[in-house]
Order: sequence, then structure tokens, then C-alpha cells
Amino acid sequence: MPLSRRTFLAAGAAAAAAGLTGCGSRSSLGAANELSMWTWVGSVNDDLIGQAEKGIPGYDGLKLSMTRIGSNYKTKVLTALAGKSLVPDIVAINDDVATYFPNADQFHDLYDLGAKEREADFLPWKWKWGVTPQGKMMAYPMDTGPTALFYRTDIFEKAGIDIDPAAVAQLAPDWDTYIALGKKLKQAVPGSSITDNVNSIFSYRMAQQPKRYMTTDGQYIGDQDHVREAFDLAVRVVKEGLSANAQDGSTDADAVVTNGKLVAFNAAVWWAQLGPKNAAPKTKGLWRVTAAPGGPGNRGGSFLAITKYCKNPQAAFAFISWLESAQNQAQAFLDPVLFPSTPASYTDSRLSAPDEFFGGQRIVDVFAESAKKYPGAYFSPYDSIIGQPLSAELVNVETAGKSPDQAWNDAQRQIERELTRAGAI
Amino acid sequence: MAVTKTIPVTAAVREETAEKPPNRFRQAFPQYAAISPFFILFAVFGAFPILFSIWISFHSWDGIGAMKFVGFEQYSYLLGDPKFWQAIGNTMIIWVLSTVPMLLLALVIANALHNATRFRTFYRIAYFIPNVTSVVAVTLVFGSIFSNNFGLLNAFLQSIGLGKVEWLTQPWGIKIAIATIVTWRWVGYNAIIFLAGLQAISADVYEAAKVDGASPRQTFWRITVPMLRPVILFTAVTSTIGGLQIFTESRVLFGDTNNIGGPGDAGMTIVSYLYQSAFIKNQFGYGAAIGWALFILIVLFSIINWRLIGGNDSERLTSRAKRRADRKIAVQKGAAK
Repeated sequence: MPLSRRTFLAAGAAAAAAGLTGCGSRSSLGAANELSMWTWVGSVNDDLIGQAEKGIPGYDGLKLSMTRIGSNYKTKVLTALAGKSLVPDIVAINDDVATYFPNADQFHDLYDLGAKEREADFLPWKWKWGVTPQGKMMAYPMDTGPTALFYRTDIFEKAGIDIDPAAVAQLAPDWDTYIALGKKLKQAVPGSSITDNVNSIFSYRMAQQPKRYMTTDGQYIGDQDHVREAFDLAVRVVKEGLSANAQDGSTDADAVVTNGKLVAFNAAVWWAQLGPKNAAPKTKGLWRVTAAPGGPGNRGGSFLAITKYCKNPQAAFAFISWLESAQNQAQAFLDPVLFPSTPASYTDSRLSAPDEFFGGQRIVDVFAESAKKYPGAYFSPYDSIIGQPLSAELVNVETAGKSPDQAWNDAQRQIERELTRAGAI
Repeated sequence: MAVTKTIPVTAAVREETAEKPPNRFRQAFPQYAAISPFFILFAVFGAFPILFSIWISFHSWDGIGAMKFVGFEQYSYLLGDPKFWQAIGNTMIIWVLSTVPMLLLALVIANALHNATRFRTFYRIAYFIPNVTSVVAVTLVFGSIFSNNFGLLNAFLQSIGLGKVEWLTQPWGIKIAIATIVTWRWVGYNAIIFLAGLQAISADVYEAAKVDGASPRQTFWRITVPMLRPVILFTAVTSTIGGLQIFTESRVLFGDTNNIGGPGDAGMTIVSYLYQSAFIKNQFGYGAAIGWALFILIVLFSIINWRLIGGNDSERLTSRAKRRADRKIAVQKGAAK
């Protein structure tokens, strides 16, 4: 009896050990005839993914296995990469792509897979963002986030302002005139705001600039005039009473769109869906877009990368270059409103169709103009470390009335501490 | 006879043991194997992560690349990090704001439940239900109640002629909101524990008090509360442990914003800061260091609690009496000089 029990336990332990090591022996996620891919919800066109799930174009034996991740996307990707096993073949990366550059060895160099041939199809600044300072192409462009000015025609009419997009663009070519316009709107319709909160102004002003927080050779410039100017501008909008003080992530953030407080907003193209279309469907036909005060800009947009664990890098590259072709990016604009990074898409009939939500305006023209003229800025691996204290201090200024100078100094001190620890300066 | 008989037996036993020493581990192997699942799982999911987090806390690691040994740098950075001290301060304030009203309310509710004559089970279940509901769901509901511009609470305050309060942007508003959620969730749980304590108090004592003409208030403060002391200490200890680990409430209220604890990070708790450092900023070494700082803090509080509970009353009384006597003697000596 004891012997048989012992055998039983030994067999159990052996099976458990085999199971555990079994997990560690394969490095890429999914079956041998599958390319696994992770993205967050709403980052791809479902029809195109459906096609690839039946078979990768050009690779008949292979199928796509797609996972859409609802929340904490980046944490999950990093955990998979850290685990070094069951890593997806293809991962989507957000606009913080540069934070992956120090670990670029975890991904295939797309130049080795033939990416060079496609370069001419894309917006040059967008392409550059996926290439490391060492010249390795780590990430392939998906969509972009060109910015423009959204505004409510009904409110503008009440303030006696010409609602024609060209006229509005002429009336507010820069931020000073835009603030003046905002004051006029507020006088006509009390409670009107031109931003949801202080950070939107700061972020969208930074999104218009040709430089951000660091130079390509790793020098910190986040304490210089161009950042301070954006910081002061954001504070000024708050002081003029033109911010709705609805902080990101609060339940108020959507409400300011729904209840019509936000009457004009300099924002990226994806806000059209996240903002008015989702939160205020009743305002259909009342919105227009025009060139943003302060010039063209870009905020957001994502990338695709092939991990070094990939089963078949050639097939994976064939798939992502098919998915992000000008033709297919035009389809992704219709659903879920991803703005193409391929200029050839901008003249596609599906994009240039009039949008009834915007009173029949061809909004693609406005955003295409912004995307083509955006100067492009360098994103460093440390941009999120630097941006975080600045944004946090701006919230303190808006919600707690902290002195802007004190907030600026506190943010700079915190940034210096964090950059020193990260070994960046 | 008896003697001659026993000797060979013990000799035989000795011989056998000399021949084949019993392997005690081997004999007990089935028993060890039977209890092993817990220890194997604990080793994999408990002990290993704990030891590994000590190892990580001496490194700089972004989760993917190579780990770089930095010695005590993470800890020295931690000591000089104003955000960390702010997190400790926030946690303490939220803990006091939630625990004090929670325990007082629970005591009152337990007393009421104890004296209730009708629908007793219904009331008990009703008070306990908040504790088994999802924290996330509860927090979302409270988020709408406390919402600055369109919240129920502000609508109510305005309807009775008071101004609205920016609950979710002002430092105190945030802390009160979080403390309210914690209180609401745990008051029933503590009331049930108090109730169990109340039921253990003999009815004779109350009867005697009644005979002596004690008022209900006197009975409550002079009999109920002192006799509940061990139970009160138990709830205080469990609330301390829970209070130091508050996380979900502020995380759900403020999400992945730039300030993990809301405007001014006023709702950032120690665990929020740990989460932000390790899983948002990918500074796993620093996150681990915060975790160990929290551990030390919990040990400190446990020692305080242990000092409060440790030793029985009579011992403490005698030691206090001895100290008093010593002091008296010292004073007398001083006077004699």
C-alpha cells in the first residue's frame, strides 16, 4: 500500500514538473500555424482582422490569432516580455514608442524585413518615430493624431461669429486671438469653455512644437522657454475662466461635452469619436473643424512591432504592411476612426465623404493638412517621466490654486530627481 | 524472572536498530507528501516572490532589460522622496478618517442590533451586505455621488441652500470621499463582530446594573464598552492592517491619470504609489523598495498593537503600581536630602 501511494505521488509530482517546464519551453504565443497579436480595444478595423483570422494574405498556412486587451495594456505586454515565454508575435505600441527603445533588442529590425521599400508611403515624421536613434526600425506606423479646432456652430452664432471654417481659422490664427475668441463666447453664453482642463491646453500646445523635452543626443530641454510657454499658456486659459475644470479620468470629463459646456476645443482627430460623437450624439450637425490656432500638430497615434520571439517574422511583416497599406488604413478611418499615416489615403473616396456629424463638412481635408504640415518633434525614452510631474503640477494649479511659479519649480525639481535616478542626466 | 525476561527483548531491539537505522524522514514521507501541496504552492507563489522582491529592491530594473545592481540606492532615494512621505501621510489621514467613525458607528449599530426584537436577521444581513459587494462597483457609484459638477451629494447640498463642494479635486474632499467608501463597506462587518462580543457578555451583569438603577448610557459606557475591550482591539488591529493597504478606492476613482491619487495626489496611498512606480513607470526596483518600506511600517504598527494588547491587566497594574512606588521613594529620598 505505501508503495503504491508513493508511486502515485511521485507520478503526480512528475506530471506537475512536466507541466511547469512545458510552459517554459515555448517562447511564442499561439499554435504553430498561428501568428498571435495583441492590441488594445478600438485600435484596428475588425473586418480586416476578420480576414486575417481566416488566413494571412500571401501565407495560406498561417492564421492570425487576435487578442484585444481592455485595460492595463502596456503592463500586460511588459509582463509577457519580461516572462520571455508565450510572448505574442506582434504587439501594438502607443505613442510612447520611445520608452521601448532601450529594449529594442526585444524586437525585430523591420528594415531587415524589407520595411525600407514602404517608407515613401508614410508621413516622414511618423516613420521616424518608429526608428531608434541607432537607426534600427523597431515599430511600424499605424494611425496618427493630427490636431485641429473643433467648434460648435450654434454657440458661435449666438456670439455673432461667422461660422464658416475658413473665417474661424482667420479669426483665431494663434492662441492669443483664440483666447480672445473664447472670452467673446463666454460673454454670449455663460459657462462656455475652450478646454476640458488645464492639461489639454498644455498637451496640445506641446503637440504643435518642433521639439519636446530632450534633444536627440540626450540633453534635457524640458526646462526651456518652449515648455514654459506652453505651461504659462495653459495657466492663462484657466485664469481667464475658459477651462471647464473637468480633470482627466473623472466622471465630469464626458459630462462637459454632453452638457454643452465645451464649445470649442483644439484636439486630435480621435477626439471626434471619443468626444462629441460618443458623449453628445444630439449635437450632430452642429460641429465643424478648422485649422487649429497655433499651427498644425499631432497627439497620439500608434505602432506595430514584431517581437524577437516571433515564429515567422517574414509573414508577420507581410501582415502588418498589408494591414497598414494606404488602402486598408482608409478602411480603418471609417471604423474605428483611425487617421491614416499614409498620405495616399487622404484622397480615398471613403475618407473624403462628407461627414453629417460635422454638417456635411469634409473633415479629412482639415486633418490631412495638419498631418502633412506638422513639423515633427523628437520623443525621448524619458518623455513620460518628464511629462508626468508637469501635468500633475498643472492640475494642482487648476484645482488647488497653487502658484504657477511654485508649481513649475516643483515639477522641475521632481523631474531632475527622476532623470538623475534613471541615469538620463 | 521478570528481569531475565526483559533483557533479551531490549537487546533484540537494539540489535535491529543497529542493523537498520530507521530513516525517520523516509518513514514520515507519505505524511510529508500529503501536506506538501500547500508548501509547494506557497514556495512558488508566496516565498519566491517575497524573496525575489528583496532581490529586486537592490536593483534598477525596467522589467525587460538587464537588472543593474544599485545597492541601497532605491532605499536612500525613497527616504528623500517627498511623494513617498506624502503617500504615508495620505494613508494615515484616510485611515483615521475611516477607522474612527467606522468603529464608533459599528459599536452603536451593534448595540442597536443586540437590543432589536423584530427582524433581527434582516437587519444583520442588511448591514453586512456592503462588505460582500464589489469594491469597484461601490467606488464607481460613490464616484458619481461625489462628482464635482453633477454629483448627487452636491445636488443635495445645493438644494438645501449650501454651496457645492469640489469633493474630487480638493485634498480634504478626496480623503473624505475615500474614507466614506471604506467606512460604508466595513461598518457592517465590524458591527457583526461587535455583536458577537456583546452576545458573549452575561445577562447577569446587565440585570445587576438594572437593579442598581443604572441608566442605559451608564450601562453602555461602564459595562458594555469595558467588557468589549478585547473585541474592540481586534477590530482596531484588523482595520489598521486594512487601512495601511487602501488602494482600490483611489485607483478606481482616479484611474490612470497623471496623478494616480487625483488632483495634487491627495488620494495617493502607499500602495497606489507602489503600483504607479512598478506598473506604470516600470521601476520595479523602486516598487519593491516601497513594498518593503510598507512592510516595516506594518511591523511597527504591529509592535504598537502588541504592546497595547500584550500582557494582562493585573500585570500591567502591578507594574504601574511598582513604578508609582519607585517614584514616591525617589521623591522622598530627594526630600530627605
